Amino acid sequence: MLVLTRKKGESIIIGDDIRVYVVDVKGKQVRLGIEAPPNAPVHREEVYRIIQLENQYAAREAPLDLNQASDVWKEEKEGGKNEK
Amino acid sequence: MKNETNLKLKAVDEEQKIKLKTTRFGEIEVPRENVIHMPGGVLGFPGYKDYILVPHKENSPFLWYQSLDDPALVFVVINPLIFKPDYDVPISSALMESLGAEKIEELELLAIVTVPKDRPQDMTANLLGPIVIDPVKRLAKQIVLDPERYSTKTPILPQKK
Repeated sequence: MLVLTRKKGESIIIGDDIRVYVVDVKGKQVRLGIEAPPNAPVHREEVYRIIQLENQYAAREAPLDLNQASDVWKEEKEGGKNEK
Repeated sequence: MKNETNLKLKAVDEEQKIKLKTTRFGEIEVPRENVIHMPGGVLGFPGYKDYILVPHKENSPFLWYQSLDDPALVFVVINPLIFKPDYDVPISSALMESLGAEKIEELELLAIVTVPKDRPQDMTANLLGPIVIDPVKRLAKQIVLDPERYSTKTPILPQKK
């Protein structure tokens, strides 16, 4: 891994069109500003990983048919109406 | 494996339709113009960029989000506003630009649904990573929201105690 030391206000360039600025450094936190083209989406890694995992889980668990799911949905909706 | 799809993709150019054969929902025909393109793919599935939406059935809130790149890849999706009317998705101008979208009010939202086996009442929707679609350009993107506000496992039905 390439490790660079940067100060507040300095930046690095990745490829031709990705720029990462050090906006601020306070104690243990670093604020970064990122400029990247739309085909290079930027995410906080831990959040990105959670969504990735959930997507993979959802695809793996996709039911054979949705009738059970739509039945409970319908029941819930109609049940809710009857209670009122 | 029982729950594996067996889709066979057959493009019928002259009719501008795509024919799909599937063990899940039989053979379907979708107009080619209904294909939704995701330049960034679904997160975790970067190589799968083209999808079609297949409504489950009448009076069902669910749709299938079927990959055209992998016959076995399918998601269950729902319009999250149906069960969470106050769902608030911030749309940046960069997102509008990447979708080629002109009007914010035309954008459509989908949330990927997870249905636990044998417990459909516990199904959840991923509100942390909704899919935003521009229905005019047929471009879509899965975006990432604030994890302090939204979760990948938001119950779709009211929780029973």
